[in-house]
Amino acid sequence: MRGNPEKVRGIVLSAFDYGESDRIVSLFTIEHGRVKAFARGARKSRRRFGHALEVFSRIEAELRLKVGLCNLQEAMADKTFIGIRSDLAKICNAMYACEAAECMTPEGHPLPRFYRLLSSYLDHLDSEAATESDRRFFEVNMLNILGYRPRLDGCACCGAKFGASGAVVSARGELVCKGCGEGRSIDAGAISLLSESLAKGRFGVVRFAGEELMQAGVLLDSAIAEHAGKRLKSLEFIRQNRF
Amino acid sequence: MLTNISSLSRLVSEFKKLPGVGERTALRMAFHLLKSPSNLTMLSEALLEVRDRTHSCSVCFALTEDDPCSICSGNRDHKAICVVENPQDMMAMERSNAWHGVYHVLEGSLSPLAGTGPEDIRIDELLKRVSSGNVEEVVIATNFTVEGEATALFLTKLLRQHKVRISRLAHGIPLGSDIEFVDAATVQWALQGRNEI
Repeated sequence: MRGNPEKVRGIVLSAFDYGESDRIVSLFTIEHGRVKAFARGARKSRRRFGHALEVFSRIEAELRLKVGLCNLQEAMADKTFIGIRSDLAKICNAMYACEAAECMTPEGHPLPRFYRLLSSYLDHLDSEAATESDRRFFEVNMLNILGYRPRLDGCACCGAKFGASGAVVSARGELVCKGCGEGRSIDAGAISLLSESLAKGRFGVVRFAGEELMQAGVLLDSAIAEHAGKRLKSLEFIRQNRF
Repeated sequence: MLTNISSLSRLVSEFKKLPGVGERTALRMAFHLLKSPSNLTMLSEALLEVRDRTHSCSVCFALTEDDPCSICSGNRDHKAICVVENPQDMMAMERSNAWHGVYHVLEGSLSPLAGTGPEDIRIDELLKRVSSGNVEEVVIATNFTVEGEATALFLTKLLRQHKVRISRLAHGIPLGSDIEFVDAATVQWALQGRNEI
């Protein structure tokens, strides 16, 4: 990962100020997956960066790839998601998606399917109301693309098929049969909606509601906490403020 | 060589903690002060004075030497509060000479990514001031970053429960700039917030 500056397209996952005028940003690019980059003079140079380096902005950037911290030469906002920025619940959900991407994706590994998922979620949030159902749709598809897909057709321990009575969520965020473990119950209906979410490719098609939404949430929250290795700050924020 | 002079080494390492100061600048500053002992004394006195005399105003949380600060105790319009993120923003507003009301410094902004929630900034104190009944208008002047927008939206939601006029600073094309060089999002915001003349 070294060479001349190259044009990349990506989404800003996080950005923080460094020194007087610089910023360090984390980007999820189509071409190279997640990369960290140093943007020299980003807070001063409106010409080279404008307002492009804001969290969840979709940008086109000129990046000089290096092992570790890349150099971001310039960036231009392709879409700043004004619809998201004008609604607090949307901001929180968009930031959560970015934080999840930052914690769960490997550095320097292209994942175009995940880029498309993240980008579609931001587009969806920009035009539609933020709902927990859509967040769950994003989460289950994220786990699937990143290789952490929970087994939905049978017990993760013994392989037995789940019947109409459903399953339980283990402490490791897996679905197990009631004979293999203890935990919060998850009905067959919720498992079926999770499977359907993986089959449908569009936001807004699958709707989790009521008890099924709560049960799917228990599984997805524990699976994400298990694979991310920590509780995500933005998720805590969403919970505390009930967005 | 510097390690032999521990006091100088300590001064350099303290300078290096300041924003934008690297090893070379820290060294240059330290040697400059060493050349003129009077400057060194004045600097050390100024540092101690600023530590001992400045604190947050108990009303608006701006940086002050008196309590309440000169703005809160002065002849300003106390019915209008301008909410800013930090004391530097308040100074920028004061430089404009355009605001004649008082201020409320939040000492931060909401940031879901950093885990900064409503209880970490001075929102409760603002609501107490507003619910006292003497306030008629609140101008939200948080930054136009995602965090600043989130804070403004959160405050708007809370302030709507009170009988006050709520407004947000206008944003759009900067003074003296050509529209052809302004980015698309700023033009979009400017069009949305256009004024009839």
